[in-house]
Amino acid sequence: MSRDKLLVVYMTLGYPDNGRYLEFMRESVKNGADILEIGIPPKYAKYDGPVIRKSYEKVSGKFDLWSFLPETRKVIGNTKAIALTYLEDWVSELDSFLTKLKVAGLDGVLFPDLLIDFVDDYQMYSSKVREKSLNNVIFTAPSVPDRMIMEVSKQSDLFLYYGVRPTTGIPLPITVSSLVTRVRNLVDNKLVVGFGLSDENDLRKALKAGADGAAVGTAFIQAIEKGGVKDAVDLVIKLRSILDEF
Amino acid sequence: MVNNAEEILPKYWYNIIPDLPKPLPPPRDPLGAEFSRIDLLRTILPKEVLRQQLTIERYIKIPDEVRERYLAIGRPTPLLRAKRLEEYLGTPAKIYFKFEGATPTGSHKINTALPQAYFAMEEGVEHVVTETGAGQWGTATALAATMYGMKSTIFMVKISYEQKPMRKSIMQLYGGEVYPSPTDLTEFGKKIRNERPDHPGSLGIAMSEAIEYALNNHLKYLVGSVLDVVILHQSVIGQETMAQLDELGEEPDVLIGCVGGGSNFGGFAFPFIGNGRGKKYVAVASAEIPKFSTGEYKYDFPDSAGLLPLVKMITMGNNYVPPPIYAGGLRYHGAAPSLSLLMKEGIVGWREYNENQIFEAAQIFMRTQGIVPAPESSHAIRAVIEEALEAKKTGRKETIVFNLSGHGLLDLPNYDSMMRRIVKNEQR
Ligand SMILES: Cc1ncc(COP(=O)(O)O)c(C=O)c1O
Repeated sequence: MSRDKLLVVYMTLGYPDNGRYLEFMRESVKNGADILEIGIPPKYAKYDGPVIRKSYEKVSGKFDLWSFLPETRKVIGNTKAIALTYLEDWVSELDSFLTKLKVAGLDGVLFPDLLIDFVDDYQMYSSKVREKSLNNVIFTAPSVPDRMIMEVSKQSDLFLYYGVRPTTGIPLPITVSSLVTRVRNLVDNKLVVGFGLSDENDLRKALKAGADGAAVGTAFIQAIEKGGVKDAVDLVIKLRSILDEF
Repeated sequence: MVNNAEEILPKYWYNIIPDLPKPLPPPRDPLGAEFSRIDLLRTILPKEVLRQQLTIERYIKIPDEVRERYLAIGRPTPLLRAKRLEEYLGTPAKIYFKFEGATPTGSHKINTALPQAYFAMEEGVEHVVTETGAGQWGTATALAATMYGMKSTIFMVKISYEQKPMRKSIMQLYGGEVYPSPTDLTEFGKKIRNERPDHPGSLGIAMSEAIEYALNNHLKYLVGSVLDVVILHQSVIGQETMAQLDELGEEPDVLIGCVGGGSNFGGFAFPFIGNGRGKKYVAVASAEIPKFSTGEYKYDFPDSAGLLPLVKMITMGNNYVPPPIYAGGLRYHGAAPSLSLLMKEGIVGWREYNENQIFEAAQIFMRTQGIVPAPESSHAIRAVIEEALEAKKTGRKETIVFNLSGHGLLDLPNYDSMMRRIVKNEQR
């Protein structure tokens, strides 16, 4: 088994409840997740789809962020974990937020609104993240111009995140192959593709077109809803095996 | 012209998204949305239209079937030199115009109606719905739908419905079903009528009604402007113009177009902007709906009811009720996201003109070139005249190219009332 391809597993912090969340995190690491993405409920999930939005609503106010994040670290061992949260919510206290993330045991952060709502200052915010010795994972999308994708790709740590759809969890019709082929040519970094990529066909197309990995979220939340943690872990196993075909 | 029509007519549509200077802010769902507006697009748009709306491929192949229709409706449209206008103004500038009024429906709108109807038809759709302001888009939709054997229902802004009975007649002759909006066919229409029974309607309201009607009756909705996919289809205008200028050995300096939602301007100018041709780009709006001078660049709904996803654009607010002016096609609260971004970045400049100013320009154009321009297009003409007079002052020998987005033969009652108003004002 080669395991060249990265499986990035997203879960909303504390979803569906603290116990099952921790169990899912532990099991997904055991079953092949390379990097964990932890969703911190924002005030306005501007660029999230309905499933993730609902998961945020469900957990909001059910835990204390700064004492619960370290528990995640305990169950995932050394696996890399990044926080996914909106810069908008933290921008006024960014220094202390980043420090606390580091102390809580996170390896990095991904702000989905960085290149959209903060595009003029994104370099400044990126360097603040790095100053705190955190990885700075940058979110890009098809609407980011070529020149800019090349530029930010170099500044993204671990991998460059590329969301193929404008929102998560809605199977909008797109041509995955050509989207990925094009961005592949612009990116030297590892390229992880996400946003509505749980469909096996789409996933294989993305990998064939040169993606170095996949980020999946909505599908895990739906699996937990349907059949509990076990179903979600089964999905981790299935995705891992698809990635390992390549 | 006719001999090399096939060469001039492009084989691909051009998409400016990958060439924009900054990321185009994506559409998003509103805070606390009770349903996903983005998901809704999947229900109301033909699948291929939505795919093209989301694509970032720079060039998209025009299906052969659509190319044939483009040729059949008289594309490529002529690129003409306004020599008499130049002489009248005594300007050293050369003035060219792309004449979109030469298509059977009299405006550029058919360029996107055909492919959208084609993609709907291919999907097995039998009935399409849309809104129309001035009536140009409704006319194009009615013709395109009927060409592909589909029915069409059109919500026409009430004030235009009343002022432009002939537009309504054409749509009906083509087989379209036309209703003055706000109607009582939709909940949103009823709500507006309850609040204000004499409401003149607006494009935003008509759009909301058309979408609600499409949803309730499981029909597909055709989009007239604003969305990127529409500008994509309209890129045939600019690409043809480029090829025609090349044949003439001309290099454009200034490119000018009017803006309602931004589709004729974008379709005309974006291929030039993307290819780095031209030095100056001017978008012209109506001073009575001063979105460029007073609008904000922010996330807003494209329609009044807020059924569509939020997009980031220059906007007067989706609740804004534009005054009932002489150029129905410009009565829209916002401008396409890609155009808004280019304006925000200072790449595209703007002007706004009022009724008197455009009437004067239209009259000069009619009397020198003989063409009655659509009142919308007369906004572009006013900017051309000012630019040409400026060139006269400075002695610049520039080449000005503008998009004459439509003819105004069905707007004669409008011009008539403008004439009466303006004469009355002058007598005072
Ligand atoms: C002749 C004509 N020109 C211009 C417009 C403005 O629309 P847009 O900016 O979307 O091209 C319209 C709209 O109805 C129109 O009919």
